[in-house]
Amino acid sequence: MKRILLIVLALFIAGCATVSKVETGEQAVSNRLVVKLDGPWNRFENFAGFPVPTWTVEGVTVDRLQFFVGIKDGTPLVRQTGEAAARRPLTFKSSMEPHEIAALFQAMLTADGSSFTLDRLEPVTFLGGPGLRFNYTLLRRIDDVRLSGMVYARVVNGELFAIQYQAPRLGFYPRYEAQIEKMAQTATLRT
Amino acid sequence: MMAREEQRLRRSPFLVPDPELRDYLQGIACRVSGPHCPDVRVYAVRNAYFNASMAPNGMMQVWSGLLLRVDNEAQLAAVMSHEAGHYLKRHSLERLRDAKNRSALGVLLAPFGAAGLVGQLVLAATMMQYSRDQEREADAISVQLMGAAGYDTSQATLVWSNLLAEINARPNADAVKDSVLFATHPPSEERRDTLTRLGKPGGETGAERYRQTLAALQLQLLEDELKRGQYEETFALLDRKIGTEPERADYRYARGEARRLRNQPKDLDEALTDLTAATQAGQPPPQAWRSLGLLQRTRGDKAAAATSFARYLELAPNAPDASLIKSYVSELQT
Repeated sequence: MKRILLIVLALFIAGCATVSKVETGEQAVSNRLVVKLDGPWNRFENFAGFPVPTWTVEGVTVDRLQFFVGIKDGTPLVRQTGEAAARRPLTFKSSMEPHEIAALFQAMLTADGSSFTLDRLEPVTFLGGPGLRFNYTLLRRIDDVRLSGMVYARVVNGELFAIQYQAPRLGFYPRYEAQIEKMAQTATLRT
Repeated sequence: MMAREEQRLRRSPFLVPDPELRDYLQGIACRVSGPHCPDVRVYAVRNAYFNASMAPNGMMQVWSGLLLRVDNEAQLAAVMSHEAGHYLKRHSLERLRDAKNRSALGVLLAPFGAAGLVGQLVLAATMMQYSRDQEREADAISVQLMGAAGYDTSQATLVWSNLLAEINARPNADAVKDSVLFATHPPSEERRDTLTRLGKPGGETGAERYRQTLAALQLQLLEDELKRGQYEETFALLDRKIGTEPERADYRYARGEARRLRNQPKDLDEALTDLTAATQAGQPPPQAWRSLGLLQRTRGDKAAAATSFARYLELAPNAPDASLIKSYVSELQT
């Protein structure tokens, strides 16, 4: 059953996303967020219909690095349709406090019934100013896999910028954790 | 196939890891199913929605959202008896055959965790509904089983009337049939009325035993309920709970936190009332102080917010957000 779902997901992704290689070195995401890469990644510009740049090394059903670039006040974090949008809109507001931004991501991650546990939430410097960072554990409902994740976020001039990475807790997350931390800590905004 | 699913369920991280609860649920299942007890195996599954289900091989699932919603053991026994009724009448076997005929096996497996998208759950709930006649039959059997086990059968109707109250609290209340909250057992006025007619007062409710058994799990159930973000349903649920147990700090905290999170006109005033009551009650959860501090900070009451945050950090020094809350305290003191 799990295999069928993964095949369906892969076909869905293949049908609506363009994959390209992201080379090592400095890269601009959505022309605004600049990150330095220690190694190459695979990039989906329109993953699963979401206009959120999504990168992966192992495959999007395994590890996933997503960039939320310049989300404006009053717009949703990801595209929602139908009942989900009506029942629990994932709307970003520029007045959101750090704990509210973390709660917004939590709501996004649990929309499919997955179980979210906040492991750490702290203020950090991100993109050269005061931001937040949080770590979490997610029990993914679709296949019972236990994922670890991290998010760096900051509101700049009323727009949300965030880098989110998650991968299976065993093996994959520890393999890329340091690399993602370094990437987030050296990320900059193009002026 | 079912054996494989049950094996997977045994290993699932969504299983509630509480041996006492498992034994308690198994005991209720045995009590209502009598000679069929050896056939039934009960699993408590962490899922904030209301549901129970029973597979043709005797594997019964009870979701944590159901455990939060029932008020006593008799109400839980009513739902489990209903599932046992389907099992005894082999309704689930008929349903499985139907599903196979429709090549809809994937849909049938949804409640076992194989597919979790909410939209799929709605679809699954629709596909998996028993026929009206099967539901009537299971309701009638459930009352018989409850009565034979010594439970107060008048409690059965309360399960459904309470659920209807939650549905009707939604902004789009005309959603009885598609509410994901009720998964495979959508309540209806007809079922509530039938159970009202069949149920008779008397027998045991097991309220205190239920309360004691669930005590350790209660705060997690409430936190999971808050994470659903369906505040109108949560208010209907907690208004009822607080109506019968106004002294419960955890219920007052959860309702106050839901008000704070929804943040519509008058919500913050009502949140302040609930959170103040929660923190003044005996043994409030540390989260109540955090929630109160955030609310006071929003309202500009800096001194009170700093005091509440200090209390939170004192009670939960290793809380995952301790670092952020400390930064809020520093900010309040400047």
